[in-house]
Amino acid sequence: MKPVIEVKNLSKWYGNVLGLSDVTLQIEPGIIGLLGPNGAGKSTFLKLIAGLIKPKIGTVHIKGQKVRNNYSLFNEIGFCPEQDSFYEELTGMEFLLKLLSLFPFSPSEARARAEQALEIVELTKEKDRVIKAYSRGMRQRLKFAQAIAHDPEILVLDEPLSGLDPLGRRKLIRLIKEYRKIGKTIIVSSHILPEIEAMTQTIILIHQGKVFAQGDIHYIRDLIDTHPHIIAIKCDKPRLLAEKFIFKNYVLNVKFSPSHDSLLVETNNRDKFFSLLPSLFVENKIEVKEITSPDDNLQAVFDYLVGK
Amino acid sequence: MTSKNKKPLAFYLDSVGKAFSFFFFLGKKVNRTKIFILISFLPVVIAAIIKCIQYFQKNYWLEDLSVFSNIIVFFYLQFLILILALFFGTSVCSEETEGKTLTYLNTRPVPKSAIMVGKYSAYTLLIILMVNIGVILAFMILNISHLLDFSRYKILFRDMGVLTLGLICYTAFFTFIGTFLKKSILFGLIFSFGWENVIQYFPGSTQRFTIVHYLKSLLPQPARGRFSFLLFRLEPSSPGAAIMMLLLIAVVFLGLACLVFSQKEYILED
Repeated sequence: MKPVIEVKNLSKWYGNVLGLSDVTLQIEPGIIGLLGPNGAGKSTFLKLIAGLIKPKIGTVHIKGQKVRNNYSLFNEIGFCPEQDSFYEELTGMEFLLKLLSLFPFSPSEARARAEQALEIVELTKEKDRVIKAYSRGMRQRLKFAQAIAHDPEILVLDEPLSGLDPLGRRKLIRLIKEYRKIGKTIIVSSHILPEIEAMTQTIILIHQGKVFAQGDIHYIRDLIDTHPHIIAIKCDKPRLLAEKFIFKNYVLNVKFSPSHDSLLVETNNRDKFFSLLPSLFVENKIEVKEITSPDDNLQAVFDYLVGK
Repeated sequence: MTSKNKKPLAFYLDSVGKAFSFFFFLGKKVNRTKIFILISFLPVVIAAIIKCIQYFQKNYWLEDLSVFSNIIVFFYLQFLILILALFFGTSVCSEETEGKTLTYLNTRPVPKSAIMVGKYSAYTLLIILMVNIGVILAFMILNISHLLDFSRYKILFRDMGVLTLGLICYTAFFTFIGTFLKKSILFGLIFSFGWENVIQYFPGSTQRFTIVHYLKSLLPQPARGRFSFLLFRLEPSSPGAAIMMLLLIAVVFLGLACLVFSQKEYILED
């Protein structure tokens, strides 16, 4: 399959701060998940792809054409920014209509497209409310609507699921997957692995401005599964619980808190560990107050993977 | 799609028109415009108060046209058009970068310079309307008993023309400033009430480095009076040269604004 987006030796830095370093990629139609902790360079990469910022070194080509200042290319690109910014005095409908008016559509066609986009993101009822009265989730959906309203071939979505409630997330994920079915190219970023996992199997792992890995999501899933996780359990019988864990070979370490009301368990198989927990609680009549995972985030996983 | 195969110039003008329509619509809705409409109508209130005083105190006399000229010069020329041009001109670019809405504009299939020209035109037209409606109302109130004296309208149209040229010119200048300076308002205030007010009184050709010099060159030398110092001109340029210079300044600075806006990389900080 011919790549839609080609990136060669792409580097970007802001003063002394590295944004992206020597990235070379080819992106084909389908959904590509861009995964990395906050500050990894995901937004920089997406902004470079959309021609919003200039690379210091390297090139970006979309369908064989350079992107920066190539305004005609934006007939085929929909960009959903991370920032929660709008023309607050406009209504949702006016916002879409005015942005669509900058495309070569007739007024009636622009209106029809705006109506359709609002319907897709389920904002039809709120279309005449001013944006400043919108909730965070509604604003997020409106941002998505402006990206899809002109029916672009390429969708660049920077953290599109942030601020959405679980139902909203599920709907948007379903929608993004539908776009893949009709042959669109979608690049979607997130710092939350399950979000990306729900949308695609193809991912680009980005960390400290570099592409850390690229390919099938199972690769990173396997790496994460073997990454030792620390889980804190606050309960009424921490020592009894510790006794039960000691005999499990996937438990590497158990520590008690100074207040003696909780324990920290280190495991290299999170799935097995969590599947065991409910039965242990029930059988031993342990009253659980809180279960947290202090390092259950992508940053910790990346730190582990890069050997920090 | 309706305009896919348009010629480059037609496409460009079409893009400017679209951006103009967008930002004229938006400009009418923002709170800043409402506040400045109120400010620009202050002279109308002052004119009404003066007229009331004239009506109730028969011994209080001021020639209506001289009061009108004083309002024009003192409030509009020396203050309001500068403030309006400063706030609307700098916001052409800065409200997009500070509000982080620039991303929406830069991901549309229109040239960046067309957006700049369209937005500049929309905001300039808004402030021209604001100022001139106030001027017309102030004129009507002060000349209420001479509304059929058509010779007086010549003065009204001349003053409206001068203010319109001033707005076009200052807004272009401040639009340019707003494209590359972060603290453009501060710079604009120093320029407006420092540079413009001081340099215009320098002898020789130095005074020609101010915009107000060319604007004042289009107004007649005032008769001696309380506010005549405000219109004092050292060595005025000829009206033709002044108009040409004002238009040239507007075109040059708008062109520079387009160039900077198209080439500069705006980093929208999170």
